[in-house]
Amino acid sequence: MVKVVVPVKEEILRAAERRKAVGMDEGIAQFLAELIDLGFEYRLQQLYQRFEDGKISLEYFANELGLGVRDLYAALERRGLATSNIGARPSETDNGQQITPI
Amino acid sequence: MVLTVVLDAGPLIAACKFETQGRLVVDHLLLSGCRIVIAPSVEEEVAVLGAGYPDGVVAGERIAQGDIQVMPVANRRWARHLAAYALGDGEKDSIELCGQVEGVQALVTDDYLAFVAAIRLDLEAWMLPDLVVKLAKRGSLTIRVAAAILETVRPRYRAGVIEYSLVQLVEGKHGESSGTG
Repeated sequence: MVKVVVPVKEEILRAAERRKAVGMDEGIAQFLAELIDLGFEYRLQQLYQRFEDGKISLEYFANELGLGVRDLYAALERRGLATSNIGARPSETDNGQQITPI
Repeated sequence: MVLTVVLDAGPLIAACKFETQGRLVVDHLLLSGCRIVIAPSVEEEVAVLGAGYPDGVVAGERIAQGDIQVMPVANRRWARHLAAYALGDGEKDSIELCGQVEGVQALVTDDYLAFVAAIRLDLEAWMLPDLVVKLAKRGSLTIRVAAAILETVRPRYRAGVIEYSLVQLVEGKHGESSGTG
């Protein structure tokens, strides 16, 4: 796992300190890691919506997320999401085929 | 007769990743008389940054062998036209290449914004399935192989795209010949 220094909001820091105060030291790293994961997923979902709407391209999407195109392609595949945004969205099809929600 | 196309990153990744009838899609395309040209920025994204993926290695090998040609963007004729679109460098460069490489038939992209930008510049734009159908209609790819390729790449497309191409293939069946596969 990569270790980096990340500036965090005061309220997140307080939440981490509260955990430490009640003896949950070991859980702090996991708590922060989960927050980062959630933030990444939220950002990916936001950008995918813009990509689906045709407002941004795949490469622009990757740049905004800080990934290379190939890594984004893999990330979308892992989530069962189409890597092309031309054609009808799954929710618009008659057969009710659904994509895996992020 | 050679069919020259410029591929952006999405179709290149797909072509180097998906395999049908024991052969990668990119090799079906190359063996069918398709000349694939890409921009250096697309090479960077797919074969350099993507070197950790098997398809990135495949792309790198085809480039090293000269089967896929990397051509620099000599001038940015449409820089101002494309500036406000939320496109990446690879997509912009691929569009520019279409205007400067001799004999390019089309930009092959599966990206809506790149597709629209290219069409608005009066360029021919195809999706990867369109390229497969064009090769089948020319007789350089059999209908059977073309249909198999379309089914193989289906997961990456939204509804309607592959169905449309399969209908086009049936329409072009009269032209079926002894192409690759």
